[in-house]
Amino acid sequence: MSTVLSDVGGFNTSSAVLRKVARYALVVALLAVFAVFSIAAPGFLTTANLLSILVNNFTLLAIVAIAMTFAVSAGGIDLSVGTAIDFASFAFVSLVLAGQPVALALAAGIGAGALVGILNAALISGIGISPFLATLGTLFIGRSVQQLLTNGGNPVYLPPAGVPESFRFLGRGIVGGMPVPLLIAAAVILVAFVILTRSRFGRVVLSAGIAAGVVRYSGIPLRSYIAVTYVLVSAIAAIAGLVLTSTVTVYIPSSGNAFLLNAIGATFIGTTLSRHGRPNVAGTVLGVLLLSIVANGLLLTGLNFYWQQVGTGLLIFAVLAVSFANRKAAVGV
Amino acid sequence: MLVDAALSPADNTTVTQPSRAPAGRFSRRLTTLILRGGSLAVFAAVLIFFSVSAPYFLSLGNVGNVLAQSAIAGVLAVGLTVVIIAGGGNVVTGGIDLSLAANMGFSAAVYAALSQAGHGDAVAVAGALASGIAIGTVNALAITLAGIIPLLATLGVMNIVAGLELVLTQNTVIPATGDLLTVLSGIGPFDVPALAYVLIGFAAVVALVVQATPLGLRLYAVGEFPEAARASGLSIRPFIVGSFVFSGLCGGIAGILSVSYLSGSSTGAGEFLLPVIVIALLGTVFSRRLVPTITGTLLSALFVGFLVNGFQLLNLSSTLVSGIQGVLILIVVSATTLLRKQETRT
Repeated sequence: MSTVLSDVGGFNTSSAVLRKVARYALVVALLAVFAVFSIAAPGFLTTANLLSILVNNFTLLAIVAIAMTFAVSAGGIDLSVGTAIDFASFAFVSLVLAGQPVALALAAGIGAGALVGILNAALISGIGISPFLATLGTLFIGRSVQQLLTNGGNPVYLPPAGVPESFRFLGRGIVGGMPVPLLIAAAVILVAFVILTRSRFGRVVLSAGIAAGVVRYSGIPLRSYIAVTYVLVSAIAAIAGLVLTSTVTVYIPSSGNAFLLNAIGATFIGTTLSRHGRPNVAGTVLGVLLLSIVANGLLLTGLNFYWQQVGTGLLIFAVLAVSFANRKAAVGV
Repeated sequence: MLVDAALSPADNTTVTQPSRAPAGRFSRRLTTLILRGGSLAVFAAVLIFFSVSAPYFLSLGNVGNVLAQSAIAGVLAVGLTVVIIAGGGNVVTGGIDLSLAANMGFSAAVYAALSQAGHGDAVAVAGALASGIAIGTVNALAITLAGIIPLLATLGVMNIVAGLELVLTQNTVIPATGDLLTVLSGIGPFDVPALAYVLIGFAAVVALVVQATPLGLRLYAVGEFPEAARASGLSIRPFIVGSFVFSGLCGGIAGILSVSYLSGSSTGAGEFLLPVIVIALLGTVFSRRLVPTITGTLLSALFVGFLVNGFQLLNLSSTLVSGIQGVLILIVVSATTLLRKQETRT
């Protein structure tokens, strides 16, 4: 595809100005969207609403998008993040219902999510299937398994009474004035940033996404690194599943897939922030922030819900178009 | 499979190569044969299993029903196959069109809305096809002009189109009737539903163009060896544009078929996306060189159709179907991957 991209000129003449604008398209879009909604949407610019954006829109998507960032960094993609979310949620809810300690349920949730990643890793690193197809297969199978586990897709509710306090704490607690889910998201972002930019593992993963062949020929056991990456992706997504379940106290089969497209969108929107068009944690976080602000702002404008969907789609599309035009210019020169 | 023969110099060179270890070569050939024949054998086994356990399964009426039920997904999968052929097999950076199912839903809504507003069949058909082509054109421009990778471009378009469909229909079903719809949803010759003939006819025409004309050969060349295609004077862009516009058209056609099948526009067209991807990807298994072909896609559409139908006849839970589809993809793709590795080794 890169050959096709370099084939298409046309932007070479348009100077460095466009390239600069495109490079910071994400930041510009973020500021623009923020400004527009501050004026157009009554109640947007209040502390309560801004906090609600962070807690209700940002947190979960940020965790899932960080997971996706790892997969895309390694040159792949993970369509089964929703499945990991669901499996984690199901295991967590089941164990809490069965009266098991919350700590055990949490561990089981992460484990159940990671199981999805282990299957992906076996398919991708073991057999050599392309990540898109492997995780697509996992997605299908995961959907079926959930339907079988829940008698055809019935939600599993936790009774309002009798839920341990520590369970609620995860979704609704407040520490030092900050909601716990937000703190968890912040921790995930921070750890992901350190792993991807400061560790040997992160360096290998990032180089695998650029030139897998070179990494392999330098004697690095690339397969094991890729395998660990996909398990990590699912484990991170599982965290989102646990936070989600603690917030809404119900497990709904296949609900995790709702995050998939936005997570992919945020990750790729985030690549605009990097000079080389690579996935990066800061870009992903800003991408999630953009999507969250748009979702919240459009809701407040009282616009028809269906137009909101069109609006979000157009915005993502516009940011991607500017970003890729920029990238092409860089390639073409 | 005409194109298989045309594109098979690689096979000839392996035959003329001096064989270093005849025994090893033989066993390798045997595994290749098993892997290749395996998919067809699985297809046959599934058919035999169902026809033994569900007596009604192989009756002409049921086969016709399966064809008719596969028509919508089949037409969409044909469009996707053309995109994959032109863009190359790498699903992430190569050709993929995720907006197809949403396109189908939107085009169906356009058809139903026009029909309900009192316009005739001709206007409604033109509207549905135009909306399909327009969506395909947006994809094509986003990919060739803006340079967005197809996965993302069509993902974005998918979201926008799905939103537009909701705006147009307010998430309700718009009923539609008309002469054309009556014909399409009716029964054709030999008591076989008309939709079955549409699928076979459409696939046959596209298969002829893609697998037996110079245009089709160039399409493959552009997708598989872009550098070589460019070096030999083919410009790649028109083929990419053409493939996405064509898949958009397929979305429009499928939209009309779905209006006739459901007597109106449908909600939740997005559900079609994954089965369509499965069909298009499974299709490569039915080609000798494991490349996407239209005939392969048709076979795989029927295979998936028979599978779902057999499950219904056996009263098995429909929830199992997506799981079986997932396992199928993985088996097929694993086999293909192993086979490719083997080929590069020889």
